[in-house]
Amino acid sequence: MNRNLYQPINGGIVDIIDESPTIKSFVVVLEETFKFETGQFVELTLPGEGEAPFTPSSSPSDTKKMEITIMKAGRVTALLHECEKGQKVGIRGPYGKGYPIEDFVGKEIYIIGGGLGLAPIRSLFLTLVERIKDFKSVVCRFGAKTPDDFIYKNTLFDTWQKIEGVDIKLTVDEVNGNWAGNTGVVTTILARHDVNVPNAVAVVCGPPIMMKFSTLKLLEFGFGPKQIYLSMEKNMSCGVGKCGHCMLGKYYVCKEGPVFAYDQIMAYPNIWD
Amino acid sequence: MNKMQTVLINELKPFLNAIAEQMDLYVPKKTGTHYIYNRYDLSAETCVEFNNIRTCMPVKEFLFPLRELAAVFPEPFEPKEIKPFVVFGLKDCDLRSIEVLDKVFTEEEFEDPFYVNRREKMFIISSDCSEPAQSCFCNVLDGRPFAQSGFDLNVSQVKNGFIIEVGSRKGEDFIETYPDLFTMAGDALLAERDKNRAETQNQLEQNNTDLKFDKPVNEIVENSWDSNVYDQEAKTCVECQACTRVCPTCHCFYLYDTKQRDYFAKMKMWDSCMRLKYAEVAGGANPRKILGDRLRHRFMHKFSYFLDRYGIDMCVGCGRCVDAEAGEVDIRKVLKKLNEELKGKDKAKAEAAK
Repeated sequence: MNRNLYQPINGGIVDIIDESPTIKSFVVVLEETFKFETGQFVELTLPGEGEAPFTPSSSPSDTKKMEITIMKAGRVTALLHECEKGQKVGIRGPYGKGYPIEDFVGKEIYIIGGGLGLAPIRSLFLTLVERIKDFKSVVCRFGAKTPDDFIYKNTLFDTWQKIEGVDIKLTVDEVNGNWAGNTGVVTTILARHDVNVPNAVAVVCGPPIMMKFSTLKLLEFGFGPKQIYLSMEKNMSCGVGKCGHCMLGKYYVCKEGPVFAYDQIMAYPNIWD
Repeated sequence: MNKMQTVLINELKPFLNAIAEQMDLYVPKKTGTHYIYNRYDLSAETCVEFNNIRTCMPVKEFLFPLRELAAVFPEPFEPKEIKPFVVFGLKDCDLRSIEVLDKVFTEEEFEDPFYVNRREKMFIISSDCSEPAQSCFCNVLDGRPFAQSGFDLNVSQVKNGFIIEVGSRKGEDFIETYPDLFTMAGDALLAERDKNRAETQNQLEQNNTDLKFDKPVNEIVENSWDSNVYDQEAKTCVECQACTRVCPTCHCFYLYDTKQRDYFAKMKMWDSCMRLKYAEVAGGANPRKILGDRLRHRFMHKFSYFLDRYGIDMCVGCGRCVDAEAGEVDIRKVLKKLNEELKGKDKAKAEAAK
């Protein structure tokens, strides 16, 4: 019998970081070597309780451990939030197609993220800055509900902004406490001349409504549907294109996604639902 | 000696006994108006029934059970050794449904080990249909009332017995192990078999005379994104999901985790795309909240997406979903309505172009 594709690799949570009132990052160490590409996802099992898909938020170059940022959203994620260091977990994967980094070489990379969408984006961002000279620039426009809701605050508000070749602007929907930055949804900080569109690619990840309006804005700026990469959130269960839950039109999001170029999926109605 | 490719046997019992001596054998048994599968008991004086029509439940049950253990945590489990087994009386629609399941579960990159394990141990004895149901419409989707390929042995009933045709090396080996059981089937018998087959085929075509399409089915379905036929037709659906359970090609499943006394288990269980929360994500978003949208998705998957990915339809026209339907959703009626609708659209387009 071949390796059982439903069998997770054993691992454990070695650290937990509070990111926002509803979001935590879990540092996972596995008992086997595990490699993934940025943008690919994994199925994380809480033994006896359930399994859910997540895109790691750490860089693939860190092969010793993996970080997974999780919002309390459903049953399994709520249980994960109650876990403590030392909790045993399982990981299946990596699954699907991530960001086509090699196609990004020499280009301006326009990254638009919102809320928990910064989790896959962090992995991408770290991957890009490891070889920042290969890219013309990395331009980030991130939004969150309130300043408290930004995840990765320590690096996002500080070290990331100082990296040469990186340009970051932030916005919040509403202000609570100290905030000197922009107020408004993320599309309010997108400007036509943020990047030179013909030599740029855009990456969008966030809540469906934010992805929809960001994509419309990018099209308005002159981006072609092939230049826009979207991370689609669907109910990925088996991870290998069989169980059917994540189907988006003819695609299995777990296999052909979760990262899609907009032109692959634009013909389907309700892609933002 | 000539290879025994087509042989005759007067009675089924000695043949099935010989098989049951070697492998676990499952045979159809009539229960009410349907046939269901039962384990063949060598010791009992059971009367063997030749099913003239497909069984009630689909063959997928043998390869992809309703519920099975998929993984154990923390120590991986050794799957049970599967004994070779035989299923008797499968029809062309069943064999074609196995072809569909093979595409999904034996894909090189992501092979389902449990499916592959069972599939390798399965010996298939198919048989001809002689009494197609009113719901059978395989002929419309390239099916036949007799097996075309994918069997080890095929049985056709004739006046004086049963003709057995070899379809694989495994089947040939079996026949050659029991030379005394069989006699060669001559041309006259084969002509009788072919005549029976033609009659059944004719019957099927008569039953489905009004099921004619003006374009390939995939094209009809692909053009139905804006159709309200699905919403209309789904009105009587009671969301029992029976259509997808009895469908021999439907293969959706979900994984869930359970706590046992001294280990954790990951289970795999049939699911249905007709279920409301099927595609819902943890945050609550659901791309197919509306029943009609779920029905459309089922048709798109069956007649367009699967074809696009694997080169064959995901519907074999067995009509089991029609029989199992608690409301009035009828796959044939939906296709007919979509065909009419597309014809209307094309006509309007042609007129507008004039």
